[in-house]
Amino acid sequence: MKVLMKPIQMIAWFTESGKPNPVKFKFIYGDDCITIIVGKIITVEEEKIAGNRMYLYKCQSVIDNTEKLYELKYEINTCKWFLFKM
Amino acid sequence: MSRIIFHIDVNSAYLSWEAAWRLQHGSTVDLRDIPSVIGGDEASRHGIVLAKSIPAKAYNVQTGESLYAVRQRCPNIVIIPPRYDLYMQCSAALIRLLEEYSPIIQIFSIDECFLDFTCMERIWPDPVAAAHMIKNRIKQELGFTVNIGISNNKLLAKIGGDLKKPDMVHTLFPEEVPEKMWPLPVEDLYGIGRATTPKLHKVGIYTIGQLAKADLTMLLYYFKSYGKVMQEYANGIENSDVASGGQPPMKGIGNSTTISHDVDDKRDAYKIILSLVETVCMRLRQAKYCARLVSVSITSNEFLHCSHQCKFAAATDCTNDIYQAACMLFDQLWQRQKIRKLGVRVSEFCGNDFVQLSLFEKYDEKKKQLDTTIDNIRMKYGTRSVFRSCFLHSGYSPVSGGVPAEDYTMMTSIL
Repeated sequence: MKVLMKPIQMIAWFTESGKPNPVKFKFIYGDDCITIIVGKIITVEEEKIAGNRMYLYKCQSVIDNTEKLYELKYEINTCKWFLFKM
Repeated sequence: MSRIIFHIDVNSAYLSWEAAWRLQHGSTVDLRDIPSVIGGDEASRHGIVLAKSIPAKAYNVQTGESLYAVRQRCPNIVIIPPRYDLYMQCSAALIRLLEEYSPIIQIFSIDECFLDFTCMERIWPDPVAAAHMIKNRIKQELGFTVNIGISNNKLLAKIGGDLKKPDMVHTLFPEEVPEKMWPLPVEDLYGIGRATTPKLHKVGIYTIGQLAKADLTMLLYYFKSYGKVMQEYANGIENSDVASGGQPPMKGIGNSTTISHDVDDKRDAYKIILSLVETVCMRLRQAKYCARLVSVSITSNEFLHCSHQCKFAAATDCTNDIYQAACMLFDQLWQRQKIRKLGVRVSEFCGNDFVQLSLFEKYDEKKKQLDTTIDNIRMKYGTRSVFRSCFLHSGYSPVSGGVPAEDYTMMTSIL
């Protein structure tokens, strides 16, 4: 997987305890606007690198008829989502 | 029962924190593996080195050196401006992690702290193993490395932690002092710096061991009461507690600024003094003190330093009064040398809950109201929301000195 760290638009649902779960995201790739539906969230980890809390989601989706693995990151203090690796 | 004290020190703090943040945000380059420094202001292309990476040391980069000199020696060096909000966030995360190991923590500076690990043997029987575990956990979870020094007091723990870097745990118990500490050069001892080192060299003391065994009468003659303290430190004797209850009371407040060009005009110097006095007086009023002593210091472009001070008849916290006194001191002190750095400091504090009237000056309550109003506006809308008109289009900042983050943990010289 290649590190991208691309800012993305995200639709997510939140549990009662406030934990976000990604549902569907959109980003610009060249001239295209690509929308990906999150198929399965394999693991969720919390990172605290440099004191900056982020959730790391290892996910899987069907993109162009293939199962692809990728990683999403959610930065808690800025509420931003990133496509970290694909 | 002897204490167990840890000293935790982040390796190249600013650089490591910036490197960790960048890696978390997808950078493929670790700043710690390439020649890089933290420092400067990108806009003005001026500044000094605040932190350097280990590869940068190969180019003989020194902390405090100007970025211009560094760029000459190493054109490919990566220069990153400082981010004090990030450093405070990292420091807070470090302290939160350490609080899981002991409730008694003294935050010594933004990247150093002392931990009292006494009476933890039921949970952590071996302090060295515990220190390794803490060090590795910080590296794993927070993404940066620390050095940990272990001893029976703060002084030895601090010196022990500095023995070899990075990412190491060292012990320096009293019985190890002759072997590990005495061979070190005397300037490595805490409390001995640029001024004391040449004086010690003059009396033939070059190592900590020589200081430890020196004649006390001779040390008292040359260094007065501090001679005894130095010898005790050289012998590893120091008994202060790990002060988790906050800082000792303030004795003085000062701010200084290094100007990006040489100042040789009195009016410009007055503007800079005014901007420093604004910062100092804001801090003074926030601390609820009035000051009786004001001091101005000048560092010339040849790094020659001089200072001058005067006392007020009655303590004051008024910006205008302190500014006028500072200008008078500057006029008496300045010999037309080109100025590179100016500083203003106030001390001899007393509480601000009363006002001492003077027979020689009329008391004007409006001055106090003006200061309070301006402080309130600045607190609500920012420091730059209201400023003196002389700064408009002057090229000088209306409020200078200090660091851009309000609660930055400044290092203290008191152990």
